[in-house]
Amino acid sequence: MAGELQKDPVSRGQFLLLGGLGTLVGAVLTIPPAVYLLDPAIDSVLRGRSDVPEVWRPVGSVFEVPGGGVRVYRVEFPQRQTYDGGGGLLGEGTITNAVLVSWRDGELPPLLRGRGGGPLSPGEVRELSGRLNVLSNHCTHLGCPVRYFPGRGEILCPCHGGIYDINGGYVGGPPPRGLYRYEFEIRRDGGIYVRHEFEGGKPYVV
Amino acid sequence: MSSSGSRAARLGRSVLDWLEERTSIVSMAEHFLYEPVPSRGRWLYTLGSATLFLITLQFLTGILLLFYYVPTTDHAWDSIYYMMSQVYFGRLVRGIHFWSANALIVVIGLHMMRTFLSGAYKRPREMNWVVGVFLIFIVTFLAFTGYGLRWDQEGFWAWEVGVMIASYTPLVGDWVVTFLLGGDTIGPASLSRLFAIHVWLLPALLAPLIGVHLFLLRKHGEFGSEFEYSERLARLRERRRLEGYEEER
Repeated sequence: MAGELQKDPVSRGQFLLLGGLGTLVGAVLTIPPAVYLLDPAIDSVLRGRSDVPEVWRPVGSVFEVPGGGVRVYRVEFPQRQTYDGGGGLLGEGTITNAVLVSWRDGELPPLLRGRGGGPLSPGEVRELSGRLNVLSNHCTHLGCPVRYFPGRGEILCPCHGGIYDINGGYVGGPPPRGLYRYEFEIRRDGGIYVRHEFEGGKPYVV
Repeated sequence: MSSSGSRAARLGRSVLDWLEERTSIVSMAEHFLYEPVPSRGRWLYTLGSATLFLITLQFLTGILLLFYYVPTTDHAWDSIYYMMSQVYFGRLVRGIHFWSANALIVVIGLHMMRTFLSGAYKRPREMNWVVGVFLIFIVTFLAFTGYGLRWDQEGFWAWEVGVMIASYTPLVGDWVVTFLLGGDTIGPASLSRLFAIHVWLLPALLAPLIGVHLFLLRKHGEFGSEFEYSERLARLRERRRLEGYEEER
């Protein structure tokens, strides 16, 4: 027969032995390189580690955030991803994120009206924290950088037309959800600080 | 032919004979180059060779680019700019790599269309069609990773969008993304991986698959029966006419 490969009958024992040995050799040959290549995925997905250490970085001040608009800040986070060549195991680079900061529904909180600075009481900090939007500028669809359009009062994505409201909530287009929100805190002097942590998911920001 | 011309021809033939006797190079070249194709649409049967030519061009110019390209986030674009503005023929070499990559995608599309329309994917050539589909996936991924290696705004955002598309893979989306990025953010490791995938991994997959594609082509030959359709139809009508004539008798 043309397609016949093995003419001698193989006993069950031989078959099992061959299968077992084949599996063993296959595992020895494939598992080390696969794990080697998947090291970052194992660290991130299984062990929950991030390239960006959990540090608070300053963004700006609550006194700078306008009513009825969005203020964009650039924030640099430390990033440890590769060997730095200087003796350290992980090189400390930086990763720059654009952060969109606005007040909920664009309304300036009453306690900030006519106030240009000064220390805030714990109660004021609490109130402002509940009204502040600190958003990633990465579209939740495919990661393109979004931009606020004052005329429309909406945040738009240039790539595929995703639309978000000023709070980062989903309005229309292909995005599956609203914009990612940074973990943030407001300090007594009015300073806004963020961590490279996000509410409800990982945007793989740049 | 003049006597000097015939002398040159004789000399050429004797050189070829000498080479053929020792290396079989002439018969091998004939075997490699000559393939009978259907008489209709014959120029369309050169699209596969055009694809192979463009891929070879990609390999050659890619090797040349490697002499100057630096795969680090702070030097990748600078090294390309340097190559384009300072290196002799740098613009030409990179231009050929870039434009032949673009042309490659178009030519592969046409080649695939010709294969489909001429019915050359039918039995016993199904496996060659499948190998071809894998090849177009690899070439597309090569084009995409090459785009990212520039590490300029366009390439960077294209890579970001591509990685995010991969994040939608069911069940293993996070694994695919962190594998491609080399972490959970885009950074130096992402470019290293991009480079390794574009320069080593994908060409290493591409080359043997091209070999399989060519082997299967040689084994089964070109066919494209659909281009012969009208001729076959005429033959069929003629046979039926003759059979009908036989029955009447």
